[in-house]
Amino acid sequence: MSFDISLILDSLPKMLSGIGLTFQLLILSGVLGLFLAFVLLLMRLTEKWYFSFPAQIFIYVFRGTPILVQIFIIYYGLPQFEAIRESIFWPILREPFGCAIVALTLNTGAYVSEILRGAVLAVDRGLLEAGSALGLSRNQRFIYITSPLAIRLGIPPYSNDVISLLKSTALASTITVFDMMGIARTIVAETYAPYEIFISLAIIYMIFTFFIQKGFGYFENFMSRHVKK
Amino acid sequence: MEAITGWWDDYFFATIVVLKIFMASLLLMVIFGLIGAAAKLSNSIIAKKIANAYTIIFRGTPEILVVLLIYFGSAIALTALFQVFDPSIKYVDVPPFWAGTFAIALIVGSYATETFRGAFLGVEPGSIEAARALGLSNIQTFIYIRIPEMWRIALPSFGNHMLSLVKDTALISIIGLNELLFVAEQATATTGKPFTMFIIVGLIYLGISTVITLFVMGLEAYGRSHLRAVK
Amino acid sequence: MTQPLIQMQNVDKFFGSFQALKNINLEVHKGERIVVCGPSGSGKSTMIRCINRLEKHNNGKIFIAGRELTDSEKDIDAVRREVGMVFQSFNLFPHMTVLRNLMLAPQLVRKNNKSKAKETAMKYLERVKIPDQANKYPSQLSGGQQQRVAIARALCMSPEILLFDEPTSALDPEMINEVLEVMEDLANEGMTMICVTHEMGFARSVADRVIFMDLGEIVEEASPQEFFENPKNERTKLFLSQILSH
Repeated sequence: MSFDISLILDSLPKMLSGIGLTFQLLILSGVLGLFLAFVLLLMRLTEKWYFSFPAQIFIYVFRGTPILVQIFIIYYGLPQFEAIRESIFWPILREPFGCAIVALTLNTGAYVSEILRGAVLAVDRGLLEAGSALGLSRNQRFIYITSPLAIRLGIPPYSNDVISLLKSTALASTITVFDMMGIARTIVAETYAPYEIFISLAIIYMIFTFFIQKGFGYFENFMSRHVKK
Repeated sequence: MEAITGWWDDYFFATIVVLKIFMASLLLMVIFGLIGAAAKLSNSIIAKKIANAYTIIFRGTPEILVVLLIYFGSAIALTALFQVFDPSIKYVDVPPFWAGTFAIALIVGSYATETFRGAFLGVEPGSIEAARALGLSNIQTFIYIRIPEMWRIALPSFGNHMLSLVKDTALISIIGLNELLFVAEQATATTGKPFTMFIIVGLIYLGISTVITLFVMGLEAYGRSHLRAVK
Repeated sequence: MTQPLIQMQNVDKFFGSFQALKNINLEVHKGERIVVCGPSGSGKSTMIRCINRLEKHNNGKIFIAGRELTDSEKDIDAVRREVGMVFQSFNLFPHMTVLRNLMLAPQLVRKNNKSKAKETAMKYLERVKIPDQANKYPSQLSGGQQQRVAIARALCMSPEILLFDEPTSALDPEMINEVLEVMEDLANEGMTMICVTHEMGFARSVADRVIFMDLGEIVEEASPQEFFENPKNERTKLFLSQILSH
């Protein structure tokens, strides 16, 4: 069994040309997902059941089912309905890329909102009591005390979710998106050389993961420079 | 709804397949996790490096890539291996069930090594010292003091690993295993109702996740039962 | 006799089935310095936390400056503006500088503008003798300094009463005095205060009244001299013998 180096060198540029799509999937879903997560968090934290309950259901469903199933439902499933095909969203939902973004956004939104909720709960109660004792209202305590501290607490688990998101972008290849994974699979189908191609691709993903972790590490240290004892 | 009626038994058997994968990969995941944790906790530098590499590789690689790599890769490796003995063999097929099970066990196992390692280190050193002082042997300390505390510490994360495992089973449909997504795809072809077919898959997975979550919650409550405050 | 600043009438507090406060009756007048002592679990902290509604009392009534403390948000907010609290674990906001810690509530609650808030903040920082730490973060300060900042923070709201919940219990011994000195200065300037503490020296020199609590009840209430020299209740005597012997 030989290891075909020339094949690797030949395929790398092709796979790397998919970086654009991989990053678009990552950044777009990441940012949109973060917004969604904040909205879900606020819905979850209110005492009004008609906000809190739907948010809980949403989070429960998206965390309890495989992403691949979510992607398939959106890409293959939604076109079943005429209402969807005639809606303003159709241009997005018709495209594999659009469906992938929608699915990844909804999924990461659910996970990140739970991360944020955990961070909010982890803020030292004593600080909130001090805020109460000083006369700060509930909203004021949330804005000035809870949020800044929760964000700092949430950075490590959030960085893990970003890495998960990166890995999930590879699933877009199953609905014909030609990101790095999609390109790799076509090369493997043509050349029957899964080892060379897939291992190289794995290394590429690992390198990205490394940089993401490092980046968040620096960011966390910067944010916590006064808060850590 | 009539569309579904022909497919109930297919969905049922596919669910059984998913559960079988879950059980098999769960066992493997625990084994990989324990070995990895032991390696990280050992004194051997080589073992630690290998275990760390294991974690880094599987944390940084997309799950679907791992599944594809192991499925195609093992077929090639085994074919090459068998050809050494019998050159007339053209192709050895690795059943997708086992390739997939092995793959997802490896993936989640890499996270489990951290969980088990953390659980081991999380045991109160004071309890261990007290056990030693009382004269318990190493094995007795391990069985009666370490393990009870360890599983309680590891339980929440372990529950998440089990959920990851369940959800990762869906990836195995990509390599052709006759499980839920695969059945849904076939059903779509004949019924023309993809949404319905895939929603059913989603609901089944949601059901399995719920059962696992409830099970873990029950275990957590059992694990805390000795802590009920005495008034 | 002017109306008491604080009145607690027949107050009970339950945590589930556990009764933390039993029929508490207490009156505090303006300018009085009260020290509350007792074994742990006696309900001392719970009692003062009921005064600013950090805990909710189940039975009885509490009046602050004539205003009854109820579930109404307006009542609670009004009370908290007039009642300041200093916590055992300081609870300074770690992500804000000392100055910002002091300025936050006056700006948000009393709606002071920035320069006025800063002026007030610096005034009280000087009062607690650490004006040079204004731009530092809490993590850069010692325990004693942090607690003094916490006192200044409470003072910036110009409260009528200050509640102290074991303010020196979390401090290393060498830092206890700097905080007690600040508290004594405040007492001498006429600040009404209720102080839950184990520092009996402070009680003797500063308090107008010492209250002993045990098992959720006020067992004995007397002037420091009476309290330490002539305790009447058996439980008080027991407590004093335990706490003063070493």
